Formats: sequence, C-alpha cells, structure tokens
Amino acid sequence: MSYRVGIDIGGTFTDFALLDGERIVLEKVLSTPDDRSQAVMDGLSKLAEREGLSLADLLARVDAIVHGTTVADNTLIEMNGAVTGLLTTAGFRDEIELRRGYKEDIWDVRLLPPPPIVPRRRRLTVPERITADGRVLVALDEDAARQAIARLARQGVESVAISTLFSFVNPVHELRLAELVREALPDVDISLSHEVMPKAPEFERTSTTVVNAYLAPRVTHYLDRLIARLEAAGYARELMVMQSSGGVMVRDYLRGSPVRVLASGPAGGVIGGAHVGSAKSEPDLLCVDMGGTSYDVSVVRGGEAPAEPGWNWHHRYLIGLPMVKVETLGAGGGSVCQVIGGNLQVGPDSAGADPGPVCYGRGGDRPTITDANLVLGLLSDASEFAGGRFQLTRTGVDAAFEKHVAGPLGCSVEDAAFDCWRVVNANMTQAVRRLTAEKGTDPRDLAMLAYGGNGPLFAGIQAQDLGIDTVVVPKASPAFSALGALSADPSIDEERSYLCPATRADLDRMRALWNELDERAERFLRTAGFARDAVSARYQVNLRYPGQNWSLAVEVAEQRGPRDLGFVDEDMRKRVIAAFHARHEQEYGHARLSEEPEVTGVRLVARATVPKPTFRGGFAAARRSARPGTTRRGNLGEGFTDIDVYHGPSLAPGDVIERPAIIEETFTTIAVYPGWQACLDDAGDYFLRRA
Amino acid sequence: MSFEVNRRLAARRPPLASDADIDPVTAGIIRGAYETICYEVATHLGRSASSAIINQSNERNGSIIDGHGRLAGLSVGIPQLLFISPMAVRWGLEHQREDDWGPGDVFVGNDPDHGGGHLPDYTVYCPCFDDDGEIVAIQALQTHQGDTGGKDAGGFSVDALEIFAEGMIIPGIKLVHRGEPRRDILEMLVRNNRLPSFPGDIAAMISATQLGARLLSGLVGKYGADSVRAATNWNIADTERRFRAQVADWPDGQYDADVFIDHDTVGNLDIRVHVSCRVDGDQLTIDMTDTDDRPELVCVWNTFSNSRGYAMAQLASMVDPTIPKNEGLFDAVDLIIPEGSILQPPPNKPAALGAFHPAVEVGEAICIALSEILPARSSPQVYKIGMPNAVVGFDAAGTMWLDQGVDVRASDASATQGIDGWGSMCSGLGNLILASAEEAESRFPVLNLSREMTPDTGGAGQWRGQPGTLNVKQVLEPFTAVAWMVSMRHPLRGLLGGDDAAPYSCRYRVGTPDESRVENAISVQLPADTVTAYQYGGGGGFGDPQLRDPQAVCEDVLDEYVSLEAARDRYGVVLNGSVEGGDVQVDVESTRALRAQRGREPSAQ
Repeated sequence: MSYRVGIDIGGTFTDFALLDGERIVLEKVLSTPDDRSQAVMDGLSKLAEREGLSLADLLARVDAIVHGTTVADNTLIEMNGAVTGLLTTAGFRDEIELRRGYKEDIWDVRLLPPPPIVPRRRRLTVPERITADGRVLVALDEDAARQAIARLARQGVESVAISTLFSFVNPVHELRLAELVREALPDVDISLSHEVMPKAPEFERTSTTVVNAYLAPRVTHYLDRLIARLEAAGYARELMVMQSSGGVMVRDYLRGSPVRVLASGPAGGVIGGAHVGSAKSEPDLLCVDMGGTSYDVSVVRGGEAPAEPGWNWHHRYLIGLPMVKVETLGAGGGSVCQVIGGNLQVGPDSAGADPGPVCYGRGGDRPTITDANLVLGLLSDASEFAGGRFQLTRTGVDAAFEKHVAGPLGCSVEDAAFDCWRVVNANMTQAVRRLTAEKGTDPRDLAMLAYGGNGPLFAGIQAQDLGIDTVVVPKASPAFSALGALSADPSIDEERSYLCPATRADLDRMRALWNELDERAERFLRTAGFARDAVSARYQVNLRYPGQNWSLAVEVAEQRGPRDLGFVDEDMRKRVIAAFHARHEQEYGHARLSEEPEVTGVRLVARATVPKPTFRGGFAAARRSARPGTTRRGNLGEGFTDIDVYHGPSLAPGDVIERPAIIEETFTTIAVYPGWQACLDDAGDYFLRRA
Repeated sequence: MSFEVNRRLAARRPPLASDADIDPVTAGIIRGAYETICYEVATHLGRSASSAIINQSNERNGSIIDGHGRLAGLSVGIPQLLFISPMAVRWGLEHQREDDWGPGDVFVGNDPDHGGGHLPDYTVYCPCFDDDGEIVAIQALQTHQGDTGGKDAGGFSVDALEIFAEGMIIPGIKLVHRGEPRRDILEMLVRNNRLPSFPGDIAAMISATQLGARLLSGLVGKYGADSVRAATNWNIADTERRFRAQVADWPDGQYDADVFIDHDTVGNLDIRVHVSCRVDGDQLTIDMTDTDDRPELVCVWNTFSNSRGYAMAQLASMVDPTIPKNEGLFDAVDLIIPEGSILQPPPNKPAALGAFHPAVEVGEAICIALSEILPARSSPQVYKIGMPNAVVGFDAAGTMWLDQGVDVRASDASATQGIDGWGSMCSGLGNLILASAEEAESRFPVLNLSREMTPDTGGAGQWRGQPGTLNVKQVLEPFTAVAWMVSMRHPLRGLLGGDDAAPYSCRYRVGTPDESRVENAISVQLPADTVTAYQYGGGGGFGDPQLRDPQAVCEDVLDEYVSLEAARDRYGVVLNGSVEGGDVQVDVESTRALRAQRGREPSAQ
C-alpha cells in the first residue's frame, strides 16, 4: 500500500488530501503562522490516526508528499526577507528603481512607491561589459568588485543578487563576481541572474533575481526545517514543492530559484482544475476561486494551465518566470460595500475574518457581500455555516445596509443588497474579461470550474454574463488546492535566449541549448526519483515578427525516453516558421507571410507523470428529479420568490434540479439561477447547465 | 479648415437620444465594460504590433466615443493622448453620410487642422451600429507612428515652416469598407511610410478596433442600444457632477501662472504659456489668454486638440482619481484657448514638436497655478524633454531603422505634498514602458553605456524631486541625430517653495575633440561610434527644503540621491561620516544652528 499526500497551507487552514489508490481522505487543521511546518506535522498525525497507523508507519508508506506553500508570498507581503544587496554592470544601478517607467495607477499622483528590497545604497556597480553576441567588451574590474563587496559587507547583507548585462549569453562575469562574493562573505546567499532567469531584458531579469535573493534565506530555511522534521518522523522520500509554473519540484532545484514558489498555493488549485476538467470532458476551463477576500481567476486550455513568462507583477515586483496566470481581484464574501461620491463600490476593502461580515456577529458593522447574500436569501441564518462552525445572524445587517448603502442611494435595504450583488458580479466579470483578453481567449468557448467558499454561489450568474453554458462544481471544492497539488506533475520549464532570424537559425546552437536544458531537467527529475523513460520532453521555439515585443512558443517535438535531437534537421526551420505563422493567425487574426520571423529563444518543458486522484465523469446513473428539503424567500437575480433549498449531502448521482434553487453543501453553497439546471454526475460532482 | 472648424468640433454636444430608464448601478457596469473593452483592444494591439513604440513603449490609447462624438470611456495609455481621440472622430462623424459609413468600416485620421494631434498620431476608429443602422459607439485607437512620410525620417523636423513638410496629412479616410480592406488606400499609406514595420502596425490597429466594435456589439446585444446610450449619458453627466462637486470645495478666486520655454528651434527666446484658473462656485475656467502668439515662432505650435487634452490630463490628476474619465470632464470645465496663439495655431502650422512644447507647459502652468489651493494633488504631468532622443539610420538596402530613444530613464518625477518623487516619470506616464538596453542592442547598432541617476538633479524640497538620469549611448554606425533642447534655462518648476529640477543637457561626440553641447536645435549626420550624453532633468521639489526632516536628508545622502554638499547648501543639514563608509549621521546641533541662521526652525523641533 502506498500513499500520496497533498498539502496546502493557507492563511487560516492547512488542508490535506491523502490519496490511497482511488480513495481520497481530506483533513484540515489550523495553520501555525509562527512555524508553519508545525501544522504540517499536526495534520499528518491526524491522517495517520484516521488510517490507524503511527505517524512513522504512515510516512514510511508515503510515496510522495506534495506541498503548496505561502512562505514566499508572505515574505513579500510582510516585507521581512533578507537584507539584500545587488551587484550590477556599471551604469545600470537604477533599473530596479525605475521599473521601465511602470506605475500601477496613472491617475493617482498620491500612489506610494513600492517598498524597496534593495535601497540604492545596497545597489552597487562594477565596471564590466558583455555585448549582445557574448563578447567581453570591458573586462571585469576585480578591484572595483572587491570594494563594492566590502561596502555591501559593511551594510550586513545576508543575500546578494548579481545581475550583469547579457549574462544569459555569457555568464563569465557573473560567475567570477560570485566567487569574489564567496571569498569575502562565505555565508551569504547568492542569486545569479543567468541562473534565475537566463533571458533578456535586464529589468525583468534583475527584478526577478533581486526578489529571488530577498526570498532565498527564508524559503530555504523553511523547506530545510520541514524536511528535517519529516525525515525525523520517518519520511524517506523527496518533498515535492509546488511551483508558480504549476509543476512540482524537489528542494535541490528550488534552492537556486526559490522565487519559483511564489503563488504556489493558487497554482495547485488551477492544476487540479485542469485535471478535473479533463476527467469530465471539459478541457477548456475558466477556473474561479472566490473566498473571503479575493477572487482568483485563471484559464485552462486543452487540459493544461499554460504558465507564461512575461509581464507578471506580483506584490509590486516583476517576476519574469513562467507563472500560472492568476488574476486576483479584491472581491470575496468579506468585501465591503460602500457609496463613494454617489457611486456604489464593492471591495477591495475586506472585513476579513475578524471582525468579518456583520452577520458573523463578531462586531463587524460595515455591510459585506456575505451580508448581502443573507439579505437576498442566498444564505440563511437558519442553516449551518462553514461546516457548522457557527450560525449567521441577521442582527445589525439591515441597519448596516441602511446606513452605508440604502440611505445614500435612496433605496430599500433589499434593493441595496441586490445592487451590491450586481456590482460584485460585474467586477468579477470584468476581471475575467481582462484575463481572457490577455490570452486572446473568448470566454464563451470555456466551461467554468468554481471552487472556494463563495465561488459556487456566484458561478452561475457570472457564467450567464460571460456567455458560458456549463459550470462544474466539484464536491471537494472547498479543499480543492490540496487535491490539486496531488494532480501536479514534477516538471521543469526553462528557456534560453537566442536571437536570430528564423531562416538563419544556427542548428548547432539550438541543439546545444536544448542539450543544456535537457541535462538539467534529467538531473533534477532523477533526484525526484524519475528515470529518463518516465519523463516527457517538449521542445519549443519562441518566435516573433521583427519588431514585435511578445514571442509565441511553437512546439517542434515531444518525446519520451532517451534524448534524441534528430528532429533538429535542415527542414526544422521551415516547419517552425510555418507553425509560427499559423499560431499568429490563431492568436491575432492575421499572419504576415511576407515577413521573416525571428527566433528569440528555445524552451524545454520536461515532465514526469505521477499517479493522480481519479476524477470520474460521465452520466451513467439514472436521472431522477431531486426533492427539495425546504423552501425560503430569496432573490436569484429576478426578484424575491420562494426558492427550493436542497441538502447537498443527501443528493446522489443522477439527481437533477430543474428549477431555481439553493444547494447547501457542508462548506459551501451552490446557487441554481433561473434558466439553469443542476445535475450530479456519476462522481457526485455538480454540473450547472443552461436549461 | 479654420478656427471655425475648431470651434465646431470643440462645442459641447448634447446627450444621446434615448427613451431607456437607466439606474446608476447598470450605468456603472456599462462604464466598466467600456473600460475593459478599451483594455482588450489596447492589449491586442500591444501583442501584435511590430514597432517598439507601440509594443514596448505602449504608446497606444484606446477610447470609446459615442454617436455624438463624446468621449464615453477609455483605458490604459497616456492621459494626454486619451483625451484627444474624440476630436478626430468628430470630424469623421460630420461626414458619415457622404463617406457612406456602415457596419464593418474602419477609418483613420491624423490631421491637426481637423481634430488631430500631430501627424504621427494616427487615430484609427471603427463604428458599432444598432439594428436600426444608427451608431451606438465608436472604438477609437490612437498610436504614435515611428514615421509618417515628410521630409525627415521619424516625423520630427526642427525647421518645418508648415505642416506639409512634416508628412502625409489625412483628415479622415476609410481603410476598410464593410469588412473588406481597401487595398489601394492601404498601399498608399504604406508607400508613404519609411518604416518596414508600418504594414504590421496598421494591420494590427485595424484588427484591434474591429475587435472593439465586436465587443461593443455584444454589449448592445446584452443591454439594448437604448440602454447603452442612456448609460453613456448617465456616466458623462455623473463625471461632470463629481468634478463640479470637487471644484465647489475649492476657494473661489483667480489663480495664475506663467511657464516659459527656453526658445523655439531658431532661437526666439522665452516662449510664454499663461493660464488663469478661475474658480467660481462649481465652475472652473481655464483661460490661456496672453499665451505667446508671435507669428515668427518656428515649430512651437501645439494643435488645438492637444491643448485641450493636455489641460484635461493635468486637471484629471488633481481631483479624486476615482472619477471616471469621459466627456463629463470637458463639460465641467470652460477652456479658453486663444485663436492664433501657440495653443491654437492658424491653419497649416507645423505640429510635430508642439506636442512636446508648448503642450506640456499647459499642464505645468495649471499645476503651478492651482498648487496653492490643491497642494496634496499637485504634481506636474509633464515630459520636459525637448523631443525624443531618436537615432535614425539606413541599412545597406536603404531600409530605415529607428531607435526611438524612449530608453529607461528618470525624468521629471516631481514630489507632491508628503511624497518624494519616485520611479521614472510622472504618474500619468506610468503606462509608457521604456526600452531596455538588451532588447535595443539586439535590434539596433547601439551600445547603452550608462543611465544612472545624477545626484542633486532632483529639486530640493520638504519633499524631494527624483533625480534625473544621465543616459550615455554609443551608436556603432553612421546615423542622423535630430534634437531640440529645452528645459535648460527654464527647467521643470518646483512647487510651493520647492526647488526647480536641474536643467536638461545634451552632448554629442563625447570624449572626442569635436565634443559639443546642443544649445538649441540640430539635425546632423554623425559618424560611427559617436557617443552621446543626455542628462535628463529631475523632478521638482515640493515645499521649503529647510523644512525637510534632517534624517530623511541623511538617508538621501546614504543613497546618493543628494550629495553631502547639497545637504548643507540646499537643505541646511550638516552631516558627519562618509557615504562609502556607510556611517553618515546628522549633526543635530550644527543643523539647528545652520537652519536658525537661515531663519528656519528645524523641522524636528
């Protein structure tokens, strides 16, 4: 018997999913912010108890622990990372502060600057220069370098980022600078830009490297401590960690690039979503995760969550590595509703968990979306909330709406709540439109996958607004990210820059770059326990038309087993160019057949396949109309009526709900809007479809 | 083509005819949809366009114009330019019958005398019709082209005496008829443009506006044309109401300011922009009467449409930033722009350089004038650079290459009350993404040698202006440099007692016996390996420097934004220790004594 365990550490709860063949066991314990590895051990002990084993016996039987962590994100939110210094090319001291001119709000002259990770006094430069073709134009001035390092030492740096121009073409100066730092400061962490993000341009690479340096000691320390605890308790395998790219990897790989564990949590949910979607024959998905304070949206295409490097701003810093694109909006159950300048505004302020919405009865006095849901009858103070942890109360809710919304707008409390509900829906719909616009995706081609505590309540109406016909709500939706982590494959997704016209691409050079990427992938995947023949390798080329700033990746080969670069032949250039024209046509509605595309780099996505939770689909079960438990007065968008209320745990595969309804599940509530129906598939998961 | 055209195009336009009742919440949802559509259109363009100025620098401005030519919604871009598109579209709308407007049509215009900005700014637009064949809204997209024909490559001539020298002039022409591209017209545009990237850019602009019109049709399909029109009316009226409510809180009175430009391109000195801001209840009047109108001035003529846009961009930055940006702003403010002045030139004046100066001085003057009553939102939304620091060359095949020179830099990032100047530029330019060295050097024969901030070039103040950078660049092949230097004698102004920024300067052939400083305007062929050094001006300071917290000055010195000498001379702060040693500390007693001697109390007391 062998287990696999997925773990997702959230702000309030740490979630666990134990996989035993096809059996899934879920567990939740309170997070332990002072030492997050404590909650991991607590939860594993509980799982062991439920399996009737000692912790040591459980861990001895675990094949893999897969872990999503917020440690990197929290470090950036709290700004308590390492004292970090930057060494860079003379003349380029200020790139990180100038941000290529970017400011988040062009209309607000009172926007504050981002908190500095490396103030100017710890950004020091060294005379040296390498050109675009890798030539050393100015040799590294080692005396100047030693002086700069001494100046960093006097400032007590704990971590040093090294980022010089064109180091991704020729790393010789970065490598030598690293040696010099190590001589003077043997104990500091060192992050080299050509290792963290080996591609142009300099601001993106430097920013990513600086964030990496800032996170490195904390992330490394956290993982080391967790691994030590797991080993002491009897776990003998590698800990796998969720990356922002959506793949999982071993600690040794992440030691060089801890920045890759940013957004590790949401990535797990998206990957899980992709897997569920494939199982249910819905490979193209819009994943929406609405919790208490935020609304995370992402897109899955063809059963995959594409992770794109590029203009990813994260906590006010640019991260140029592949990240599963998740758009986060300040919209959740706790979003505060208020009237500003005569306009109704919902979020991004949140009442959080404490005091929380007015209806939590914990002293909150500003109306929130959860309060609006209560007024609208979508939630009830007579039902259990949050798995029976507490009861909602109507006390104070109407007064809060009267004071903050209904009064200023001159309408009734019920109308005010309805307007709040409409506004938050519109905000979320527009966030979806922005995200899909960036990807050139039409939401009408997608099915929606809804999870998080509040996602299933709003999913139907958003789907309606976006022209989406199908919504999937997994029964396990409230604990979805831990499950998702178990669906993620160990993978490495890296690029190497190489600029040249596509017709003149140097095949030897491309072969060499792919070999280099491949060797790295092979080494780390072997550490993770995967032999070469268990790994699939996808070889891609990035191209663009001359002058374009964005490249598109074109796949040239997918292989399993021993490396064979035989596809790199004289004909490859032609195939790549044709594929690029076609891809451009698909993305942007036109191709420029008279122009010669240019290659901007090569990419390798190497992936091992692991056993995953078996998500079933299908509708073999006999259909039958479900019987509602009760009714209550509520407004599902078309005015107040009596609405059927169903007890979710009592429903079975094949059950169909054909009228507007509320379904109360243990940790969430699902709304069936007018014009929609719900049915349970063979796995007991919900499908909402237009009637 | 006359002032009469300008008067007609700028006249206030009535609300759209609509019988629909609209509630504020639905109107807000439709406004959000407009902004999102503009974002989608701009993103589509940025991803697919060929030239760096569009796809890297983000000089792409999406806006939605209603059937009466009113600005109905906008998204990412450059504020000044976002406010310009309606005027060009209005000219087109006046001719919709003769020009046979219909679904699937796409138009372009760039004529300064028919509602446009300067010639390189192409406004492409695509109308969306309802089922009755009436226009509901128009998707417009304005971008700056790297070339537009004319006598000088790149679109900027320092010696143009009339607009005909500057390039091809298009009042308004149809590019796509009922979904079919007009091959002959497009070929003419392409033939009149030197840049090989132009065909890709224009194709991307067309497909982006078509996308916008499709999305607008979807909105009409969902809410109905009447409701969309009613929502547009509501949102425009709401913006006017909210803007006026802010003005009503300002003290009544008249607030004046003058800003001077060093010279025109032939040496006429001290060109004056004057504004009088009059506040009377909820009515704000911006009167530019007494602005320079010397007919002999060369190249410093700002198009009428630009003058309106630059005034409004500054005003929008000085009120609650959450007020939606649309025609309501223009409805709320009375703009008086004297006919025949450099802010509303006579017909056929050259227009290219005017979009830099006197355009930005309009905003700067408004900011200075209103700073005494609006200190917390005063920050000039300007770029004081004379013109883009562009480098033009031709390859062996005679094909033009252009390094636009919109490189990473710090310039004109002023302080405002309570916040030091930060980042690269003023907030309004925060979507203008600057060119990286590694991308530029992979494309063009250039080498970026340095671009670090120069200490003490930010204006001193209780809150400090961000220093400007010194951008040093080597061009590896023969090239043509075109430059017009200003902001040397009249640099960016500080506010409320803050110091002005340091001046701009530009030197060519640095490190050779022929090194020279550009004193005014120059268009010159330079040999391979020429080094240029361009010092950008910093941001202006805000408030009296003697009131700056001495510890903040100490931190500035440690970070080398400010020198030890300037700490003493400009701020009255005496520091001990060395920057290199990292042990700089405030000498509290000496600082107190020095500031007292200058008649200032130390702020710490």
